Order: sequence, then structure tokens, then C-alpha cells
Amino acid sequence: MGFLNNTTITIDAVLTKRGRELLARGKNEFAVTKFSIADDEIDYRLWDTSHPNGTNYYGSVIENMPLLEPVSDETQVMKYKLVTLSKETSRLPILQVAISSLNFTQGGGNGELLAPGTMNSTDSEQGYTFIIHDTTVATLQVATAAPSPSAPLAAVTLSDEELTQSQNVSGLTARVLPQVFATPDQKSTQITIVGNQTGATTTVTVVVNKTSLGSPTSGVTKQK
Amino acid sequence: MALSGTFKLFDAENDVVRNIKSTISSGIWSTGVNTLSTAYSQSAQSSSTGLYYYDIYKTSPATDSEAEIQYSITYGHLHGSGSLGTVGAATGNRASAAIHAQLVNLVLGPNVEKFTYAGDTTSKHFYAISLKRARMRERLDPGNWELWLDSGANLVKLIDDSGATTNPTSGIGGTVFNVVSGSIQSGTASTKTAAASQGGGGIGLFYPDLGLIVLNADQMDSLVADITTVTTSDTLGGNVPRFFDSIVQGAKFQARREERLSSTHFFCRAGNKEFNFSNNPTFFTSSDGTFTQPTFFKDPKTYITTVGLYNDANELLAVAKLSQPVLKSYSREALIKVKLDF
Repeated sequence: MGFLNNTTITIDAVLTKRGRELLARGKNEFAVTKFSIADDEIDYRLWDTSHPNGTNYYGSVIENMPLLEPVSDETQVMKYKLVTLSKETSRLPILQVAISSLNFTQGGGNGELLAPGTMNSTDSEQGYTFIIHDTTVATLQVATAAPSPSAPLAAVTLSDEELTQSQNVSGLTARVLPQVFATPDQKSTQITIVGNQTGATTTVTVVVNKTSLGSPTSGVTKQK
Repeated sequence: MALSGTFKLFDAENDVVRNIKSTISSGIWSTGVNTLSTAYSQSAQSSSTGLYYYDIYKTSPATDSEAEIQYSITYGHLHGSGSLGTVGAATGNRASAAIHAQLVNLVLGPNVEKFTYAGDTTSKHFYAISLKRARMRERLDPGNWELWLDSGANLVKLIDDSGATTNPTSGIGGTVFNVVSGSIQSGTASTKTAAASQGGGGIGLFYPDLGLIVLNADQMDSLVADITTVTTSDTLGGNVPRFFDSIVQGAKFQARREERLSSTHFFCRAGNKEFNFSNNPTFFTSSDGTFTQPTFFKDPKTYITTVGLYNDANELLAVAKLSQPVLKSYSREALIKVKLDF
């Protein structure tokens, strides 16, 4: 009779850049209250149901792979979070947005409404986090607040430059407002939408064209 | 409490253990070794700061561009003897007086002008070893250093008496121990002559918090044949180079550093019904959300690779990675202790 391994897995954490920043401000600013778990680096297509040794070995390729060390850039880790759903779930949540890309001309009226929906699940209680990666192209405004609003999730994968220009808002729907700029003639960016309950993610492309003097055109064209 | 979806709140009572103190010790010298058998100085330094102190390297800075300073050695005299300059003179910066005043000011109380060693012995001059801060980090580990000085055909082996001291002295310079002759080669300190029994008074003082070893120059003259301290006024005595030569010939400086870490442990508990699905794009198809592995229906399997610690604003403050993926399913729970050092 062998011994069961009941040891706790112990791992060392590294502070992210944001964590260091808050720690430097004082201990009250650094308050860990919750955790999340991710499976970055895992490719479930390696799950091998034809393994000759049987079910216990279906995941052996995944289970024996080494993992990379953590990095302190919070935008490069925790990309794919594990999520708690009902056992009966047969399909994973997928975010759907009627508009996959937005094309504005500068001063495009009241902007455009983004109203995502969650297929196979719901984010209707806590809403969605809308992250625009470059606020010199467009900004975001909450149009409909969520019944139990969640704080916006941190940006998912943004560069340092984008972080300084990004904007996060949280709600059921959000309005995209194009910005005015002198140069260049066209600017584009992306909006990442994350379900606050399900963690499901989708992106919308935003393009804003500079208005030529004397041009009567303004407004938005949608691409479905 | 499980939040819907991707986060789980910590139970502050049961899941978070704060302020766990631990002491970490390690080899103090470059590349983490605990023994230096070589010592090099930098020739270019002798024309500038070399009048005050010598920086000591593990490898020769003349041939190794990555040579790092390990410690510095210096000589101080109450009246500036052994260095150029006198009070009121236009030339000479009285280097040994400056060094003496500097260390006295740092580690002794007000209105004290000389170091007092075991046996209530005072001396007007000293040799000192100051560990580089980057090497020492927080403090030099008491009872775990040994310095050999060459003395003709013999070696003078110096250690501290922390192992034999149950009530160490503590003052402005922090905790202080006596420097005694002895060895730590057996794993524990073996004192040859106790500080109180040392003829001529104590050999020196050891300040672990400052990484400073002050050696009574009178005793160095007496014990170390290679050191003959020049105490002539307004004279470049070359005392630091002679002390350096004795260290080079002794060819052994063993030491450890010590750090006290404050840690917080977060127990991340993933219950059997939690975290069994994934937003990983290889976990489901993008068209309709069905599993890429049909066997995952009603029996999903996920793999834990990363744990993120968040604040109320959903900002990722710390992240930890496992060495290998850990399987999670409805039939398995995971308890991961995340240790965060400050």
C-alpha cells in the first residue's frame, strides 16, 4: 500500500508592475482580495484520446510539459482564465457583437453603440468590460450600466504604449466616440470586450478617417 | 466565496497568512560563493580614492571587465598619522583622520573619540573592512565568517565571538561582537583565545548590521608580522597596502550574508466544482462554443498553469506559475499555496 500525495503545491509569486506601483504607494494600496486561475501555454488539442495506455494517459503530453517562468508584465499573463460553469455546460460562452468593425469619419455624430451578447451563457448581471486600446482614435462611454456592476477587468494584452492610451469601462453596453486628430489621415485601433462573469472575449476593429475640409460626409459605416 | 466566472474571493481568516518571518542565508561573494581565496585591487584607484581605502575584487579588474567589488579596506587614525597633511596645513587631506572620524561618528556614541575593545582597551587607530552593500544585502551573518591574515610563516585566523555571546552589546552601530582568533572550519565556531583573555586587549569589533569589521591596529602590529603600521605624522605610510598584502597572502575570507524576509501566504483553493472550464481558444470551437475534445462534455478537464492575485479593482498585483500543469476536473480539487515575499 502506497502513500497518497497530499502535499500542497507551493509556488512563489512575483509582483507585477502594477503590484509594485501600488506597493510603493503604501501598504493600504496593496490589497489582494481574490484570485484567478489560468491555463496559459496549454493547447487542449494535445489531449490524446487514442493513447494506447488508456484514459489516465490522455493528458500525459500536457502534464509532462515544462512551463515558462512568470513575467511581471500584467498584460502578458493570465490570458486564458479558467471559469466556473455548470457541469451540464455543453458549449462555452462566446461573445457576439452585431458589428465586427466600425468605420468612422471624424466628428461622427453620436458615435456607435456596442451591445454585446453572450451566447451559451450570460453576462447580464455584471456586464462587460470594454477596453479601447488607443484613446486618440476613439473613446468609450457607458451607455447602459450593469445591474451588479463589476470593476473593469485589467487590459488583456496591451503594449506599454497602448496601456498609457487605453481606456476601460464596464457596463452592459458602451458607446464608441471617434476622436478628432490632425494627422495622419486614418487611425485604427481595437476594442476588446470581456464578459465580466464568463471571461469570454471578442474584439471589434475601429477605424477613424480624417475629414477633408469641405467634405459634407460624416457619420459611421458599419460592417457586419 | 466563489464569484461567478473567473474570480474567487479569499477568505481572509482561513486563506491568507500574513507576515511570516523567515531568515535566508547565502554565500556573500560574487556568484554566490562563500569563500574568497583571491583578492585584487584596482591600480587606477591608488591615485584617487586609494589614499583613503582600497576596493577589493574577487577577480582582477585589469583582465576581467566584469570584476565586482566585494569589500573595501581602510586605515584610520585619530590624529591623521600615516597620511599626508596636518591640522592647518594647506596640502594633504589627512585621509586617516577623516576615516577615523567617519567610522567613529557612524558607530560610536556622541563625545566618544576612540574605539574601545575587549578588556576595556582603547586604540588611536584601526584597520577596517567594509562589505559592499550589494554583496551583504541586509547583514553579515554572525558566526559564519572567517578571515585569514598572513603573518610570516603563520596565519592569523579571525572570527567573531557571537557563538559564545548570549547577551551581545548593542549600540548606535547595531549589534556588536568581538573579533577573536579562532576558526569555523568544523562547522561551529572554535575560539582559540576569548576576547577577554586576549593579551593586549581585544583584536577588534564586528558590526553585522553594518557589514563592518574594525580591527585594533595595535593588535594587528602585535599579531600579524606582515603589518607594521606607520604612525608618523604627515607621512604617506602605506598602511592600507600592507593590510591588503596580508589579506592576499592569507588567501581566505569566508562569509555568509543574511536576509530576513517577510512573506504572505495565499491559499488558493479550487473546489471540485470550480474552474473546470476554460476560455483558452483551444478548449472550444469559436463557431459555436462546443468542446474541441468531445469527452469533456459533463467531464471537463482543465490544466492549471498560472495563479493571479487581484485586488477589488480587478488589477493583477502578483502572478505565480507552476513548474508543471496540474489537472483540474470535477473529481479533483487543487490547493495551491502562493508565497509572496516582501
